[in-house]
Amino acid sequence: MDAPLPANGMDQGEPLMRAEGIGMAFHGHAALADVRFQIHAGELVAVLGPSGAGKTTLFRCLAGLARPDRGCVRVDGQDMTRATGGNRRRMARGIALVFQQFNLVGRLTALDNVLAGRLGHVPAWRGWLRRFSRADRLLALECLDRVGLLAKAGQRADSLSGGQQQRVAIARALAQRPRLILADEPVASLDPATAAGVLDLLRGIARTDGVGVVCSLHQVDLARAAADRIVGLADGRVVVDLPAASFDTAAAARLYSTP
Amino acid sequence: MTSGAEQALRRMEAADRGFTGRRLRLWLICATLLAFYAVSWRLAGIDLHKLAVGLPKLGRWLATAWPPDLHELPLFARRTAETVAMAAIGTTLAVLLALPMAILACRTITPWPALYHPARWFLNALRGIDSFVFALLFVAAVGLGPFAGVLGIALHTWGSAAKQFADYLESAHLGPFEAVRATGAGRLTAILYALMPDVAPVMLSTTLFWWEFNVRASTVLGVVGAGGIGQELKNSMDLLDFPRLVTIIAVILVVVTALDQFSGWLRRRLA
Repeated sequence: MDAPLPANGMDQGEPLMRAEGIGMAFHGHAALADVRFQIHAGELVAVLGPSGAGKTTLFRCLAGLARPDRGCVRVDGQDMTRATGGNRRRMARGIALVFQQFNLVGRLTALDNVLAGRLGHVPAWRGWLRRFSRADRLLALECLDRVGLLAKAGQRADSLSGGQQQRVAIARALAQRPRLILADEPVASLDPATAAGVLDLLRGIARTDGVGVVCSLHQVDLARAAADRIVGLADGRVVVDLPAASFDTAAAARLYSTP
Repeated sequence: MTSGAEQALRRMEAADRGFTGRRLRLWLICATLLAFYAVSWRLAGIDLHKLAVGLPKLGRWLATAWPPDLHELPLFARRTAETVAMAAIGTTLAVLLALPMAILACRTITPWPALYHPARWFLNALRGIDSFVFALLFVAAVGLGPFAGVLGIALHTWGSAAKQFADYLESAHLGPFEAVRATGAGRLTAILYALMPDVAPVMLSTTLFWWEFNVRASTVLGVVGAGGIGQELKNSMDLLDFPRLVTIIAVILVVVTALDQFSGWLRRRLA
């Protein structure tokens, strides 16, 4: 469960994760209704949709931060929404999250932030004392190297630029050795050039590590350039689910014109 | 049929009525405040005549206080050191106890939300009772001496510091906490890893503040027999020994000022 799957490109076998009819309501208003889609190893799925379409709620459900009212999220056939205790933790550490606001601990170094990705794998006292094994420190530095920030390892996270912080957050996700990375609007706070770089990085990770990546975006051209598949969410429902190459202006119109 | 203009006029009139209501409320507030101060003046027993008679007496005493009596300076130094030590041990004990309570009393991260309100009530009770009162109780329980003072300081500061710590934790940005939780880390690990680095400097600074505050507060603990320089202060006052009294007050002033400067310097370094 720890190690990533070998690189296998666009394996269309058993999906890594399957959303099965997720429904969720807040104060009687349905934020999600019967959402179904799948994520396979090695593919980058972009979730597009107008503001308020339910993207963030969907991510919270997929990440296990919120429990849907209806339906379930299956990882390897196991229902994650009903898992408890150690089982839930094991499933959670297989899923890494990347946030719009990066969510790094500002006063810790880049390296310490990446090491946080190991917390689900090591005994609790190591986290309390911030003492990690040599192997974990090496892994964390390798992850930083992968995102091109090895030189910044000792620098405080809040001294880095936005793009650099998001790269550190991705390194943290990598250090977790996840099977799936969920990124909620990972580039919304970045300038266009930096944003493209971050998406390239995520796509490279999906390709070479065979990790499934789900990434919500709000720019159609970014999604078309980076993603293998595009899932369109409007008013809490999946209205488009197409290979990125087939996502044309008609599909975009369908997605963004839904009342 | 009402026209648009008429509806607008009616809305304005309604707002006007609201305004007079507001004006009435303003008058009521003023009257209440006035009554409050009148009653307080009576209850506080303000009597300017007594002050006029008493001030010259104070002046005569002060005149007899010169020159200060320096014979017992070594004793005063020892007693002052006792006061500083009481405050240090009491504050440290309080902060160690406050850390776990702060997590319980923090709405956003408590592992047991059901205990949130009981934890807050408990801390409020500790905070509501002054260390002076606690010291009074402990002098009866463990006898005269600085130990009773330490316990008094510890209990009161526990409540106050834990409440402040909980407020810091509640206002901390929860993003990093959630991110670290999502790596599969337990709640305590996430608190220590993601929240503590952010709140630790302000917590340390608060701790220094409480130490400083407790040194000042515990100068009077001696009055109830709970050790420290306050005991000598009360003895001198009882004997109307003003040269001795002035020396003690001067020692207290010097030490408190020095500590203020030191802890201020340290806190600036931490910020």
